[in-house]
Formats: sequence, C-alpha cells, structure tokens
Amino acid sequence: METLVMPAINFAAIMPETILSIVAMVLLLLNVFVPGEQKAYLAYLSLIGIVVAFFSVVSGWNAPLPMQEGFNGSVLQDNFSLFFKAIFLISAGLAVLISDHYMVKEECNYGELYPLILFATAGMMLMASGTDLMTIFLGLEVLSVSLYVLAGYNRSNIKSNEAGLKYFLLGAFSTGFLLYGMALTYGATGTTKIAKIASAAALDATLSSNPMFVVGMLLMAVGFSFKIAAAPFHMWTPDVYEGAPTPMTAFMSAGPKAAGFAAFIRVLMVAMPTLKADWSDLLWILAVLTMTVGNIIALSQNNIKRMLAYSSIAHAGYALVGFTAGNGEGTAGILFYMLSYAFMNIGAFAIIILVGKKGEPNNNVEDYAGFGVKHPVLAMIMALFLFSLAGMPPTAGFVGKFYLFSAALKSGYVWLVVIGVLNSAASCYYYLRVMVYMYMKDPVEEFDWMKLSPAIWASIAISAVGVIVPGIVPSIILQLAQKAILL
Amino acid sequence: MAMNYPILTILIFLPLAGALALVPFWRRERWAKGIAMGCAVVELALAGRLLFAAAGLPAASGAPGGYFLWEDHVWIERFGIRYTLGMDGISLLMVALTAFITLLAMLVSWRGIRERVPLHYLMLLVMESGIMGVFLAQDLFLFYLFWEVMLIPMFFLIGIWGHGRRIYSAVKFFIYTMAGSLLMLLAIIGIYLIHGARGGNYTFALHDLIGTPLDPGTALWLFAAFLFAFAIKVPVFPLHTWLPDAHTDAPTAGSVILAGLLLKTGAYGLIRFGYPLFPTAAKAVTPLLLTLAVIGIVYGSWVAYAQEDMKRLVAYSSVGHMGFVALGIAVWSPVALSGAVLQMVNHGITTGALFALVGMLDERTDTREISAYGGLWGKVPLLAFFFLLFSMASAGLPGLNNFVGEFLILAGAFRVTPVAVVIAFVGIVLPLIYTVRLVQQLLFVEERRPLTLPDLSLREGAILAVLALTAVYLGVHPAPLLGLLKVSVALLTGGLP
Amino acid sequence: MLEKYLILSAILFSIGTLGVLIRRNAIVIFMCVEMMLNAVNLTFIALSKHLGNIDGQVFVFFVMTVAAAEAAVGLALMIAFFKNRESIDVEDINVMKL
Repeated sequence: METLVMPAINFAAIMPETILSIVAMVLLLLNVFVPGEQKAYLAYLSLIGIVVAFFSVVSGWNAPLPMQEGFNGSVLQDNFSLFFKAIFLISAGLAVLISDHYMVKEECNYGELYPLILFATAGMMLMASGTDLMTIFLGLEVLSVSLYVLAGYNRSNIKSNEAGLKYFLLGAFSTGFLLYGMALTYGATGTTKIAKIASAAALDATLSSNPMFVVGMLLMAVGFSFKIAAAPFHMWTPDVYEGAPTPMTAFMSAGPKAAGFAAFIRVLMVAMPTLKADWSDLLWILAVLTMTVGNIIALSQNNIKRMLAYSSIAHAGYALVGFTAGNGEGTAGILFYMLSYAFMNIGAFAIIILVGKKGEPNNNVEDYAGFGVKHPVLAMIMALFLFSLAGMPPTAGFVGKFYLFSAALKSGYVWLVVIGVLNSAASCYYYLRVMVYMYMKDPVEEFDWMKLSPAIWASIAISAVGVIVPGIVPSIILQLAQKAILL
Repeated sequence: MAMNYPILTILIFLPLAGALALVPFWRRERWAKGIAMGCAVVELALAGRLLFAAAGLPAASGAPGGYFLWEDHVWIERFGIRYTLGMDGISLLMVALTAFITLLAMLVSWRGIRERVPLHYLMLLVMESGIMGVFLAQDLFLFYLFWEVMLIPMFFLIGIWGHGRRIYSAVKFFIYTMAGSLLMLLAIIGIYLIHGARGGNYTFALHDLIGTPLDPGTALWLFAAFLFAFAIKVPVFPLHTWLPDAHTDAPTAGSVILAGLLLKTGAYGLIRFGYPLFPTAAKAVTPLLLTLAVIGIVYGSWVAYAQEDMKRLVAYSSVGHMGFVALGIAVWSPVALSGAVLQMVNHGITTGALFALVGMLDERTDTREISAYGGLWGKVPLLAFFFLLFSMASAGLPGLNNFVGEFLILAGAFRVTPVAVVIAFVGIVLPLIYTVRLVQQLLFVEERRPLTLPDLSLREGAILAVLALTAVYLGVHPAPLLGLLKVSVALLTGGLP
Repeated sequence: MLEKYLILSAILFSIGTLGVLIRRNAIVIFMCVEMMLNAVNLTFIALSKHLGNIDGQVFVFFVMTVAAAEAAVGLALMIAFFKNRESIDVEDINVMKL
C-alpha cells in the first residue's frame, strides 16, 4: 500500500506566527465588547499571546531540519530566524507594556493597538524566516500595513497624522522598488526561492554580469535600505519617529529595523554569495553614509524623540559595518546588537513616555533639566540606557559594538572601523547632552505629573536588566548568536 | 602571609559594592558619607597591609615574573577574554596611591560639598573601583573596560559639582578621552586579531600578547593608537588642552583625583601596555616622545608662571611634572623608569595636597585669584606653613619627595640624551621661579583685601599633616618603595636597551 | 517579444516613480505608487510566460492583494489627515521640520 504524500505544509515552522495571528484576531473581536476604560485587559491578553509565542520560539531552537521547513520550502524556521523572532517578541512585549500608560494619557486608547502590534510582529517573523522572495514580501507588507496604522494611530493629533501619511507614502514607494528588484531577479534566475537563486548563481557564472540580475539586486538593496533607514534612504525616519505615538516609535526603531536586517542578510548572504565583492563595496558606502549622516544630524537635534530617531539611523550604520564584514562574526554581531538595541532604545523611550505630558509638548532636551535631582533612580536608569547607546562599557551596547567592529577588522576593513569609531566618539556628545540637562542643570519643573504604573516599571526594569546583564556576562547570548548565523 | 582570598577582586569591587549600597541612602547624607568613608578606609587598610607584606610575598603561581598576586578566570570564552588581575611592585604602589588619594578626596570634600552629597560619594567610590581596575587588569579587554568606566564618574564630578564653565569642561574632558580610548580599542582588537591569526589562539591576555611578532608598519600604527590614548591622559604636550579646563572647573575632590590618579593611569598604561607590547615601535618614536616630554616640562612651567588663578597654576604645573614622568618613560632605563613611577606617586601626593590647600582657601574666601590674597603667613600660620612646605616639595626641593623622582629620571636620562636633560634642567628651575612668586604673593606680601580667614580645622590639619609626613618620608627614605619596584622595572626594561 | 513587455513595464515604472517625486497631491502620489506596482505585475507576468513557470503569476496575486490592503489603510490615513488639515497636499505635511 502506498503512503499518501502530504503536501509539504508544516505548521510547526510558522507556529509563533500562527499563535500571534490567532490571538490578534481574537483580540479584534473582543475589542468590540471591551469598554473604553478596560482596554488594559487587551494588553494583558496580548502579553499572554506574546509569551506563548516566545515559548514556541524557544522550543523550536535547534530543531531538526524537516521540522524547520514549511510550505514547500517557502519558510524556514532555522536558528537564525528564531533568534530574530525572539528579538521581535521582546520588542513587541516591551512596546505593549509601555503602551497602555501612553494611550490613556493621550486619550487614544482605542484597543486596536494591541492586535496591530501582534500582526506587525507576525509580519516581521515571516520576513525573518522567509526563504522565498514571495514570503519575504508578504511578511514585509503585513508588517508595513500594520505600522502605517500604528504610526498614525493618534488620529486626533496632527503630528501623528503626518507621520502615518508620510510613512505610508514613502513606505509604499520603497515597496515598489523592492518588488521590481524581486521581479528582475526572478526573471534572471527563473525562481523566487532564495536557495534556488543561489544555486542558479553558482551554476551560471555569467549571471553575476547579467544586467537584469545586477539591477534586480540593486533595487532590492534600495528597498531594504529604505526599511532599515540607511542613508541616503532615511529621509522618512525622523518625521515618522517624531510624529508617531512614542511607544510605537520605540517599537518601530527596534523590531522592524531588525526585521529589515533579517531579510536583507538572508537575501544577500544566501542568494548572492557570488556577488559578495560587489555588495560588500555597496554596503561599505551605505554604512559610512548611514553612520555619519545619522550622527551629524543628531548632534543638532533638540527634540529628544527626533534625536533618538537620528541616532537609530546611526545605529543601523553600525550594524551595517558588521554586515559589510560579510563573515559569520559580523552576522552574529548584528544579531547581538539588534537584541541589545531593542532593550536600550525601548528603555529610553519608556522614560520619555513617563516624562512626557499630554500631547508631549515637553520632549525637548531642555525639559529634562534637573530630572536627576527629582527622580534620581529613573535618571540613573536613563543614564544607563544612554551610556549603552553611546557604547560605553559595561553595557550591552559596548559588547555589541565591539563585536561588530572586531568582525569588520577581521575582514580587513580598517578604515571603515576607524570611521565607525570616530562616529561613535562624536555620538557621545548628544547622549551626554541629555545627561548634562538631567544632572547638571537646575530643575525648572517639579515632574509631578509623572505617574508610574507597574507596567511601565516592569518594562524599564526588564530593559535595564537586558542592557546590564549582557554587558557583564555576554557569553550565553554570544553563544546563541553564534549558533544562529547562516552558513 | 598567605593570600587565600581574592584580595585583588575585593580591592576592585568593594568600592563598587559600597556605591550600590549608597543608593538606598540617597536622602540620608550622614549615612551615605559614613558608608563611603568606611569603604575608603577598608580599601586603604587592605592596600596598606599589602604594602607592608609585599616584600615577603613569594611569586604567584601561574603568573609571569614579578607578580606576587594573581587571579585568573575565564570570562567571555567566545572572544578569549579572561578576568585576569595581577599585582606587581608597580601596581602595588599605584593601588596604594589610589586608596590614599581617594580617602583624601573624600576628606577634603567633607564640608565643601553640600548638594547631592550621596551622589558625590557614590561617584567617588565608582571612580575608585575603575582606577583600581585599571591598575590591576592584566587582560587588555578588562583593562579597557575599567579605563572607560573611570571616565563616567569624573564627567559627573566635574559637571555637577564643578565651578565656572563646568559643563563645557566636563564634556570636553569626556569627548577628548573617549576619542583617544576608542582608537586604543581598535589597536587592542588589531593586536588580538593579528596574534590570533598567527597561532589560532585568540586571546586578550597581556602576557600572551607580549612578543607577538608584528611587521614594523603595523606595529607603529597600533602603538600610535595606544600612545594617543595614554598621552591624552598623561597629558603629553600638545594633547594637554583639556587638563587646565577640567582642573580649574572641577570641585576640589575632582581635582585631587584628576591630578593624583587619572593622570597616572596614562603613564601607567604606557609602562604596562604600550611599551611592552610594541617595543620596536616604541623605540622608533622615542625621539618624538622625548622632545614632547621636554617641551611639556618647559611649557607647563612657563605657562604656570603666567597664571593668576591658583588652581590653573597648579594644573599647569602638573603638565610640567608629568612631562618628567613622560621623559622617564621615554628613556626606558631601569633608573629612569623607577624614577618615573616614584615621581607618579610623589606628584600624586604633592599636587593632591596643593589642590586640597587651594580648595580650602577657596572654601573660605570664594576666590582663587592670587592677587586677592596676601599676608597669610601672619594670619593663618598653620595653613601658610603647609602651603610653603608643599610648594617647595612641588618645586623639587631636596629632602622632599619630588626631588627624588626628578633626580632619578634625570640621572637615568643623562646617559641616553644629555641634550634633553640639559633642557629639562630649565624645567627644574622654572618651577622654583613660579613657586617663589606664588608663595611670596600669597604668604608674605602685605594683605591686599581684608579677608576673614579662620585657620585650619582639625580635620584639615590632620589631612595635611599626614600628607606632609608622607612627603617628607618619601623624600628622605625612598628606598623601600624603590625596592618594591626593582624586580618589575628590571623585567620591563630588559627588552629595551 | 519579452523585451517589449519589459521595456513597457520599465517605462510604466519610471512614470510612476516620476509621478511620486513631482506630484503634490497625496492621492495622485498613491495612484502613481499603484502604477509602479502594476508595472511590476506586468514584468512578473511577462517573465512567467517567458520562463514557462507559474511562480511569477502567483506573485502577482499577492501583489494585488497587498495593494488592496495598502489602499484601504492609505486612504484611511488620508482621511484622518484631511480631517485635521482640510488638505491632502503633501506641501502641507509640514508640522515637523528638519
């Protein structure tokens, strides 16, 4: 008797995505029945969903290959994608924790927020584990469409409207480039599967000089650069980050950026190893531009959200340094860095949320004058996040930067690293400025409007632990990152 | 004496633990002060105990030559980073100096600091941890970590409790040193990768990396990065510009620690890391370093003469004195190097004392202008006496501590570069001129403005008396300290002619 | 035959790109983006036919679905913006400046 051959659908490979999507849909339904003042329950439910998804991510670690593959090879839940999925879940969880406080304060607690965060996270996951251009595109769009709404979520606030609209127009525009790139790559290789593109490139040496393939790669690089906000494709970032509701800014700068890197890395490293010399040069330029532009403009920012937006551009630049290295160390460095960045950045934004009044008229650096006197513990934690962003030891930010830079040095990119290091020194200035105001200026305000809720405390505490512990004992995470790199 | 507990780890982390313990007391100043002072006293006791026991300690097992205490554990295996601490004669002297100066800094700021007192003591304790770590780390990564940690509390000390353009000075200090140390980090990674690529053993352990064969060009670049980072801290002339600003605007405790300890970390770094790792490159840049050291000696003293602000004067005199240290290191002979290390200790004590004195005057009258004072000798005899004593010590009067160090450095240097020594002699004379002027203006000229000046309190008198005794003791009987240095210095200089 | 389709879609894509860059009305810009996406769809279909492989056509279905979702969200955002500013001219997206 012949056994029935099942189609190669393996739900285990998209288990976390499935969990999140189901929870999100249930929440959407529940939202109709939950009255306005009890929307916090939706946050708790979504946290449960995130925790369950996290467990499924953990249980998938080191699974045998047949368990990883699904949907006829369109998704691959390997360690690489699992590490990224953990980053996404952590940033989503922290974003949910800091959201309720903000949404109540800004009076836009509509409740759809939480399902949207979950959908966005599912999209990111699909991007990280997609091994087919189609899956990556789909994941990217699930993410982007959710993010457009999240950026414009505070619909009565003009800044938020602008952020949403701007993000939407530029995001859709960049998607066009990405898609065109995918189409041309498909035309040159006859497939949309990344592994098959790689084998086509390996078999056919002329492919690397085929204009269709090269232009396809370039267009895809442009599309991904938009998503990770690499200069010169970063113009949307500051406005969107400044205008979006602060918890969503925190979320966007951590999760989706990592997702962009995940897909970018997989496409370039796996599909186009034959073109490595070319894309390394390209990434070199991109990295230098991104770091320098981000840092230089950040120097002159007064609005702290905007400053962190530019700094997040600079941080993408540091990650690109590791990407340029093109070796396993570099990839592991990016994994480690993205994880640390999620903690330190969301932590800093959590404190910005706490300090902000309704409508956030007080987001300027000057508004932090004397914060260290009035709230010594919170200020100390903020200083910790800022030092980590600046790359001072003993924080996760330092270890991450160290990892990235040493990977690039190993590949011989001395000048790139020198530029990175000088950038890093310059970046100290604007992080120090916040500390100067927090500690060295006399208080103007009493900071008595600040309300500390348990959720926001939890998010700050988790972030602080996530910054300090990997800074002192990074071995475990380094080992995980090492096991998670692509070949 | 058996050291069966990790005394080096305790030396480093006790102040940090104390700093954390202060956090719950951020509203209770007396408690915070008490805890901080307790930590500092225990540190000094530990260091003192080591100082007296060191001569009898056997070499530590598993350690390179000259080290009598050694702790070694795996830390971050992935990169071959180890938690390695070691103490030889040089480290011991520096550790003792650190414990001593930190306690001094706490005592001099006992009354002067009135705002955010617990935070101030917290910063001093974190500082002590960082500096101890710098003097004890034997792994480049670990060293770099402490090196950076040191920056943070100093930034806050200057910025929060400083005077004048305190914020500008704090930020300038931070960025300046950060730029230098980041380049050093690159060089550290560089030598790590080169060493690893050669034998497959990726490690940051200092004593494994020493002797890594490098081609001359690379070695020069790597050494240049180290030199840049350390020379900023020392400071070697033209990289000194952060120092007068930082010193002038820092609070008294900050100045004492800056002059007494932070500058030493730069010189120590050159002795422990820069020269041993890149002997040939170091030899190649010796003429440059000699020249800069001599320029620093003359320039520092010259500019000090023109200062009206006492604190700035002492700050510039530091540039001159540290020029001597740089000279001793550049010569790299046993005599000169012993002199350099000794001079580091001496300078820490005299300059620390001078800053403390200036701080005391400033606390009383709110001005540091030399021209505002006069006739102190008659009004506050005790204070004036100590001022005279430490000024003379700073100027290198025989019988006091600075003389010994400077003499050894010059004696050692004379065999190598007589010309440099001749010019440096100018550097011995110039301090005499500005010191005499300072002392005369302050103590003996007629009183220009009626100032209400109480004489020294018991606390202040005790601080200064202890310092004075140390200065005199080191001036007449430096042999025990030189004995401690002997082995390490001989081992270090063995590699270079 | 393939070249002609590819050239046509490249021209359409360029017109769309140009439109995004020079038009000032958010809805027109969005229409230009749609034009870019449809140019890509044309490329996919032409290539799919040429390669004798169905992947391209599948991709087109996804692109169409996604474009519909984007339109829904995008128009909603424009309405929200219009409610506050009574304009959908991108020149008016200017509360935040460099």
